[in-house]
Amino acid sequence: MSGRRRWRRLGHAGLLLAATVYCVFPIYFMLVQSLKSAHEDVFGNPLIVTQPTFENFEELFERKGQPRNFVGRALRRDYPFFVWLENTLVIFGGSVVITLAASVAAAYALGRLRPPGFRWWRRAIFATYVVPQTILFVPLYQVVIRLGLDDNPLLLLAVYPTMALPFCIWILSAYFQTLPREIEESALVEGASRAAAFYRIVLPMSRPVLIAAGIFTLGTIASDFMIASVFLLSEHNQTIPAGLATMEVALDELLAVAGINLMAIPVVLVCALFARGYVRGLTAAMVEGS
Amino acid sequence: MVTAYLLLAPATLLLAGVLAYPVGWEAWISLTDFSPLNDRGAAFVGLANYRHLLSDAEFWRAAVVTVVFAVVTTLAKLALGVAFALLLARPFRGRTLVFLAIFLPWAYPASVSVMGWYWTLSPPIPTAYSPFMGHLKVSVDHALGTGAWSFLAVTLFNIWRGSSFIGVFLLAGINAVPPELFECALLESRSAWRRFWLVTVPLLRPFLALAVFLSLTTAFADLANVWLLTAGRVVFPVIGTQAYWLAIKGGQFGPASALSLMLAPFLIVVLALLFRAFDPPPEARA
Repeated sequence: MSGRRRWRRLGHAGLLLAATVYCVFPIYFMLVQSLKSAHEDVFGNPLIVTQPTFENFEELFERKGQPRNFVGRALRRDYPFFVWLENTLVIFGGSVVITLAASVAAAYALGRLRPPGFRWWRRAIFATYVVPQTILFVPLYQVVIRLGLDDNPLLLLAVYPTMALPFCIWILSAYFQTLPREIEESALVEGASRAAAFYRIVLPMSRPVLIAAGIFTLGTIASDFMIASVFLLSEHNQTIPAGLATMEVALDELLAVAGINLMAIPVVLVCALFARGYVRGLTAAMVEGS
Repeated sequence: MVTAYLLLAPATLLLAGVLAYPVGWEAWISLTDFSPLNDRGAAFVGLANYRHLLSDAEFWRAAVVTVVFAVVTTLAKLALGVAFALLLARPFRGRTLVFLAIFLPWAYPASVSVMGWYWTLSPPIPTAYSPFMGHLKVSVDHALGTGAWSFLAVTLFNIWRGSSFIGVFLLAGINAVPPELFECALLESRSAWRRFWLVTVPLLRPFLALAVFLSLTTAFADLANVWLLTAGRVVFPVIGTQAYWLAIKGGQFGPASALSLMLAPFLIVVLALLFRAFDPPPEARA
């Protein structure tokens, strides 16, 4: 029996190792690439880096407005990476805040106040996920131009929330719906207003679900570069994904990989920081409810 | 009640503002022969665009690829996701680290990881791994047709990232199941396989249903991304990219709109079936 148990533990460990390698390897590979010098990139071992250098990262932040150098007859461009970073921070931060605010409000209405037909309302909101995205930006462009918002990063503050809202409203309203009514009512009896009861009782209780919604939103908007690159045309208005997509990869492969890492590291850190809360929030929203 | 509608307003306005006009426009254009290439306005042609598509062999090829792609990636993501969730279900030393590793593919922004992934598997320049990848590309393309390797690369990416999301999502479901239930099941049946189908799957039903739906609707985002990234060099046609091709390169907005709307009814049917599994219960459980 003990022999069999040992084998089972060994098998478990082996599977864990396989899963970890499968998940981490591509990311490890990109990290290693970004730390290589051009020489090592061509002649070194692709799986490791022997002389790590930050020159690719430094080059992204270097002085702007000058052609860098020629490769053969091709002129290497300069990239306003710092501006891209600023745009990305503003747009991602703003989109997450807008999404959370709008979905908490809607979810409270659907889960707590329950206007007639609230279940259908919620289903209709969720069903917007079936809208085909492919050529949606053609008519969307007409709206955008009429509003004078073309090539304006602020436009994404309206478009990005729609990618995460249905899911966030779904989990938040499911959570609000399963909260026992007595929780709020005791506060209402003591003379608190509905808004005060919400702020002081319901909102603190739903912290994990809010975290889950926020992380889902961040992961969703960070996966888009189609909308960003279609609507943001001038260099100084682009986000990092849109900007990186315009890079000439054949000339600037290492720079592009460095840019990928610079975009990813902050997002990954935020996700890792809230990873536990994310799982707890999803659990709370989908099942617990008490 | 007024409060309820006021609270619903921001979310509804955002969704309607971004989606309502474009979807309406697409639906209308799909019934016309509108094209920026002809000067006389659009003429109403009824369902001709749809009829034409249904008799077009190209459409059926794209439809088959689309459905196969969606089904295969979703099944692969589910299988891997369930495996990840079960691996993480019981406590062990280093669990947090393995959990973070499994969370990583989803947390890593897909907008940039898809670029890194794609350029690594189809390197545009001579780097240390280019010969190996080039060799792989040539043999796969030779066996399955031009563009197969790029398509496969995106498929693998989609599975890699999606399985991470589903694994963590299902872990949240497993965490909600009281451990006693699994212990009861252990007494009921000695076969782990039977226990899995009789206990674990039914308990995870809402999570599985939601995961399947999200996987189906997002299956094509990565393809579209790579397609744009390479200016349409991934030649395996799926419905989304074919619609884009027709509209942007061919100026045929009528057929393109019809094409891109073709999938929506099927997704709505799937969603209607899945709602039964993950709709929250009508009343609060005490």
